[in-house]
Amino acid sequence: MGNILLKTESLSKSFSSGGVLQHVLKNIDLQLYEGDFTVIMGASGAGKSTLLYALSGMDTPSLGTILFDGQVISDYSSDALAVFRRKSCGFVFQQIYLIDGMSVMDNVLAAGLLVNRDKKALIARAKELFRAVDIPEEAWRKFPAQLSGGEAQRVGIVRALINSPRILFADEPTGALNSKTGLDVLDTLTRFNSQGQSVVMVTHDMRSARRGNRILYLKDGAVLGECDLGKYVHGDRSRHEKLSAFLEEMGW
Amino acid sequence: MKKHFILIILTICLGAELAVLLLFALRGVSARQDAVEINEALHAIQEDWGHMETHRSSTALDYAVLDGEGHVLFRTKPGLSESINQAVVHRDTILDIYDGGCIAGKLLVYNDTEETLMSGRRTAAFGLGLLMIVQTCICICFTVYLERMIIRPFQKMKDFARRVAGGNLDIPLEMDRHNLFGAFTESFDLMRAELKKARRAEAEANAAKKELVAKLSHDIKTPVASIQAAAEVGAALAERAGEGYPQTGRAASGSSEQKTALEGSRENYLQIIRKAEQINTLVSNLFTATLEELEQLTVMPADMEGQELEEILKDADYLGRGNAARIPDCLLYADRLRLQQVFDNIFVNSYKYAGTRIHVTVRRAGGYLAVDIEDFGGGVDGDELPLLKEKFRRGSNAAKTEGAGLGLYLSDYFMKEMQGDILVENGEQGLRVTVLILLSGVVA
Amino acid sequence: MRKCFLIAASNLRRAKGQTVAIVALMLFASAMLNLWLMLSMDYKRNFDRYHDKLNAEHVTLMLGSRSSDVLAFARDTLEQDGRVVQYCMEDVLCTVGSFAYNGGEMNTEFVILEKESALERQVGKVEIVEEGDCTSGVYLPMLYGMNGNIAVGETIDLTIGGNTVSYTVCGFLNSVMAGSHNCSLCAFLLTEDCYAELEEKGYAPASTLVSVRIGDKSESEDFEAALKNAVSAGFPEVRTRSNSYALVSSSRYISQMICSGIVSAMAFFVTVIALVVIASNVMNYIQENMRNLGALKAIGYRSREIVASLLMQFLGVVLLTALGGIGLSYCLFPAVNVMMVAQTGIPYEIHFLSLPFCVSLGIVGGAVALAVWLSARRIRKIDPVIALRQGVLTHNFKQNHVPLERTRLPLQPALALKTTFSRAKQNVTTCITMLVLSLVVVFAGLMVENVIVDMEPFIHLIVGETADSCVNVNVSAEDAFLALMEEEKAVEKVYLYHSVEVAHGDREGNILMCMLSDDFSTVNNQDVCFEGRFPRYDNEVAIAGKYAGEKKLEIGDEITLAAEGQEGRYVICGFTQISNNLGKDCLMTRSGFERMGKLGDVSYYLNMAEGEDIDAFHERVRSGLGKDVNAVIDVYSTVHGAASVYVSLMEIIVAAVLAVGGAVVVFVLYLLVRTLLNSKKRDYGILKALGFTTGQLVLQTAASFLPAVVLSAAAGLTVCAAIINPLTALFLRGIGIVKCTFTVPLGWIAAAGAGMILFTFGASCLLSLRIRRIAPVTLLRGEV
Repeated sequence: MGNILLKTESLSKSFSSGGVLQHVLKNIDLQLYEGDFTVIMGASGAGKSTLLYALSGMDTPSLGTILFDGQVISDYSSDALAVFRRKSCGFVFQQIYLIDGMSVMDNVLAAGLLVNRDKKALIARAKELFRAVDIPEEAWRKFPAQLSGGEAQRVGIVRALINSPRILFADEPTGALNSKTGLDVLDTLTRFNSQGQSVVMVTHDMRSARRGNRILYLKDGAVLGECDLGKYVHGDRSRHEKLSAFLEEMGW
Repeated sequence: MKKHFILIILTICLGAELAVLLLFALRGVSARQDAVEINEALHAIQEDWGHMETHRSSTALDYAVLDGEGHVLFRTKPGLSESINQAVVHRDTILDIYDGGCIAGKLLVYNDTEETLMSGRRTAAFGLGLLMIVQTCICICFTVYLERMIIRPFQKMKDFARRVAGGNLDIPLEMDRHNLFGAFTESFDLMRAELKKARRAEAEANAAKKELVAKLSHDIKTPVASIQAAAEVGAALAERAGEGYPQTGRAASGSSEQKTALEGSRENYLQIIRKAEQINTLVSNLFTATLEELEQLTVMPADMEGQELEEILKDADYLGRGNAARIPDCLLYADRLRLQQVFDNIFVNSYKYAGTRIHVTVRRAGGYLAVDIEDFGGGVDGDELPLLKEKFRRGSNAAKTEGAGLGLYLSDYFMKEMQGDILVENGEQGLRVTVLILLSGVVA
Repeated sequence: MRKCFLIAASNLRRAKGQTVAIVALMLFASAMLNLWLMLSMDYKRNFDRYHDKLNAEHVTLMLGSRSSDVLAFARDTLEQDGRVVQYCMEDVLCTVGSFAYNGGEMNTEFVILEKESALERQVGKVEIVEEGDCTSGVYLPMLYGMNGNIAVGETIDLTIGGNTVSYTVCGFLNSVMAGSHNCSLCAFLLTEDCYAELEEKGYAPASTLVSVRIGDKSESEDFEAALKNAVSAGFPEVRTRSNSYALVSSSRYISQMICSGIVSAMAFFVTVIALVVIASNVMNYIQENMRNLGALKAIGYRSREIVASLLMQFLGVVLLTALGGIGLSYCLFPAVNVMMVAQTGIPYEIHFLSLPFCVSLGIVGGAVALAVWLSARRIRKIDPVIALRQGVLTHNFKQNHVPLERTRLPLQPALALKTTFSRAKQNVTTCITMLVLSLVVVFAGLMVENVIVDMEPFIHLIVGETADSCVNVNVSAEDAFLALMEEEKAVEKVYLYHSVEVAHGDREGNILMCMLSDDFSTVNNQDVCFEGRFPRYDNEVAIAGKYAGEKKLEIGDEITLAAEGQEGRYVICGFTQISNNLGKDCLMTRSGFERMGKLGDVSYYLNMAEGEDIDAFHERVRSGLGKDVNAVIDVYSTVHGAASVYVSLMEIIVAAVLAVGGAVVVFVLYLLVRTLLNSKKRDYGILKALGFTTGQLVLQTAASFLPAVVLSAAAGLTVCAAIINPLTALFLRGIGIVKCTFTVPLGWIAAAGAGMILFTFGASCLLSLRIRRIAPVTLLRGEV
């Protein structure tokens, strides 16, 4: 178990919709460790994505504090949060969210150049990542609309990793993909994790969840329970059984 | 865009050519002479008359000056007409030079119309030629462009169409984004993709449908079969029992006995049904009755921000005897109204029985937020403590103050309903009441 | 119809901001349009109304004599002429006079009438518009009472024929043909006692004022020339002054013409911008609502109905706005009217004008309908099925502009450029707006430089020749005068600049004001000849470019001029422009004129040394030459006094034009930024999620406008700087200006260009602060 990377104290998030205050996250005390592949599971509406956005500095919590590497980020200004995101976080979205008007390469470089001024090194890293996720060279100059969903999501992963973030957040990365391409994306994430990349992934898909070594189960805005899969080997049947048992216990 | 661009350039070229031609055709040969310049030259000559050797031409005109005898007195350059006859032949302008009122000589202004005309023609021809070259270049470029942008892509499309027709839907149409027909070809490729998808979906749907039908038929078969079996057994039994009575008349006494037995068992069945119904009514009566009783004391806990507690405490402590405690960031699970009642009660009790300063601390205790409220009134007897929360129970020191003794009992009830608790104990200085409020999201 | 209304209402609700901006633009446009129409369609008609009301003359002739011979001759001439309808003769006092006005000196031909008889005249009646309660004094033309220059009850010093007299101002008068210095004759009324006293003193020669109404007023100029020719042929020694309906009606309305020209230009530009904005709005609407439109079509709306709803939406808003704008124009009109009346000197009562009202509504409505219809035609091409799927048709293979991989630009400018390239239509709108703004800026710069800060170029253009002083002496004393000037230290330069009248043409000729000088290379204003050159020899003449254009004369042609009954033929050597005589003048050398007639008196223009007291100098001249000095004029004060009216007019115009220009740019930018943000909301959400700060995105947005702004500003300023002079000449064509030679303030323009760019950049930064409200989470929650 690595160092504590992210820590929350009594994290709560409320939204007011139509005059009614809705509490989506409730007093979450959580620690995420460096090098982990943390999976946040739960039924829809349990607050998984909200937790992810709060952890990643996309959104500010209503109550409570978030510490990233010992720094309190929950009271950062929106600009400071932006700087934090660009330096320390990578994002992979369900809807992929590549910018349509830019080529694949530019999509990646637009994120990269924010942090790294050394364009040559950056391009080299982008190419290396592209190769690592199996994006063929002729696709680099294509537009996102010309890619298949799986390719686009892998480009999304490259974009997320271009700045070598301390932590990679993935919000249902396979949600918009079919099972085959989804598997590729999961494999990619698993591979990067095995190389030491910390990953936090939100999913409600058990097959995706199996990839994590630490599963958090969210219900009604609170962590109902967690399960450590770290000691089981990937692909091992017991890993799957352990997870199934855990989920059953959680009322999945 | 590019196509328009070329068209625009072509139109501009055409316009320019037409303009040049039109100019060439319509331009009146402006053989007009500059009368002012000639007038100036004439006056200058008349002023210098008599000493023409010092005369210098001040205008751009070419001219020669003759004296009365026809001798050339001055000329701007050689090669001009130098006699009246030459001037007439060359259509030069001939003017009289006056000196003191009488004609003293002639001014022959050289006619340069021809040269002007020639140079004009040369310019026009040159311009036209240039324009034509430009036009040709554009046409060539356009042809090349057409070839690259339209003809070649169409060639590619032909192969593609042949493949699709042959049923090969796997090879995508290569697209070139510079292609004029980008969107067009894309829709072709979309068509291919859609076709492919449709084919696969069709196959999948067929398979799924078969599976469903098989499963459903199996599922329905089982209960239907048992109902059928039971029905058959019942039918057979009834038939046999019914057949027995009229046929065996002698065994009337036996059959009547049997009949009574049958009737008795039916009576039993009816009895069971009636009692069950009664129980059902009783249960529902009981249910509604409890519901009515509880309605006045409903506790509806919901998520509540910790900061709200601050207000609740402030409202409850209307005499301001307590201190403002810092409340940690958290989300509580409580009913705001009931919580207010709880704290109102605690503070009022303290005012009534102790009447001292009140010390309030708020802290997190596991899954709860604990609010300690302690006064300096010395507390109560140790053996009275557990009884305080009971109905109609009051402390021994309460005789002189009014009250029903319900306060703590209700508070306790409310807190339990909110999955929290209330603890009463003797602290260091006085009575200490600890309210435990469940934190939201914590499983109690 | 109801269906259309429903769509229109929902569209309006959704695009509140854009509607507000369009409303503001159209409000400007329709206000300007209506103002222009009112100025051009009714303002000048006011002159005719007063002309009829006061039964004013078409030709005024002032004869410097009351001898019965002359009067009888005049009467005979008038009665024999079939064109004359009615005429009237009146004893008056008439001479050149001056008084202090508007910080300068007003110098004009005084026609002094006796009050009672002037009010009773059959032809050319005078009316009193303002009256105090004093019984003895003078009535001035109402123009001089405007803007609080001279008030009733004040005492005013009039210099009449070289002598100063003081009168109490009893009131102000309105005279159509002699109501301002622009009429060349300027009427003053004296109460009976004052008139008798002045006549007694003999400061002003006893004269006769002949007012003639003719049947066809378009012949007024011809008739004036013929009448004047006849009189001066019969009695060469009698001094005559005259004006005509044509001259007065145009000279009194110069500023009205300039003002309506500028207002029309503004109205045109603002309308064009509003139309461009509306058109791009409609196209944008179609682009954004492709799916909805498809849905509407799918449930059975016809294209026609959708277009009709759009039409109704915009037309409804625009027509309502136009009503407001017309109301606004009536609010602005009094202020404009005050400015105008200060120059025309004829009272104008504001009243509702139905024709301009209808025309402006029609123009605005028609233009908007056309713009909407043209840009909404695309709706017809929408196929519901394709629109619902959205994509196939709208998707295009975009070029990856400014690839980050290869560009050397830093990230921010590169992303801004990407935005720029992907929005061609918006760039066109920006360009058009900036072009208009640069025209406005260049015009303002030109006016500031040449009229407001330094009046000299403007005065040179309008007045022609100016100097510090003008002295008119008899020819007999010319040598003595020149000798005196030789000694005078205060005089830096003295040159002959005399004006006489010559006639062009045989019988029905035109009267041209002819300026004489010994040597035109010595005159102060060398820009008078805009084509060809000054006359140098005695058979050369330079004539007004406007007049030459009318008579189809070219340089090199020979024309016949006549003076004092003698004719002479002259070669045209150049074209001049002096607005003083509304484009009816010529230049000639003195020897050239003397081929036709002799001069009785000559005027010399003088340049004085710096800081000399001109009045003292005039005293010295008078005492030195005595009776031989006919008149001395403080040219500088006169000209500046008269020109200051134009300067203040110009100040207001420049301020208004700049304000309107700035406001228009802000509105257009607002719309552009809004549409940009709307269409890029998703992209900006993603970029924010990736860690771009609000500031970076704001700068990016603002910078994406910069290329179009910089290019069009540079191009616009360059082109405008090149064409502004001819354009101004076009405006001033009516007063005889053919070619403008204003100095174009290049430094000012360059600075203004930089300012414009900074201004638009700043404005677009401010406007795009809305980006702050785009939060990455809203994108992720799918609320975009």
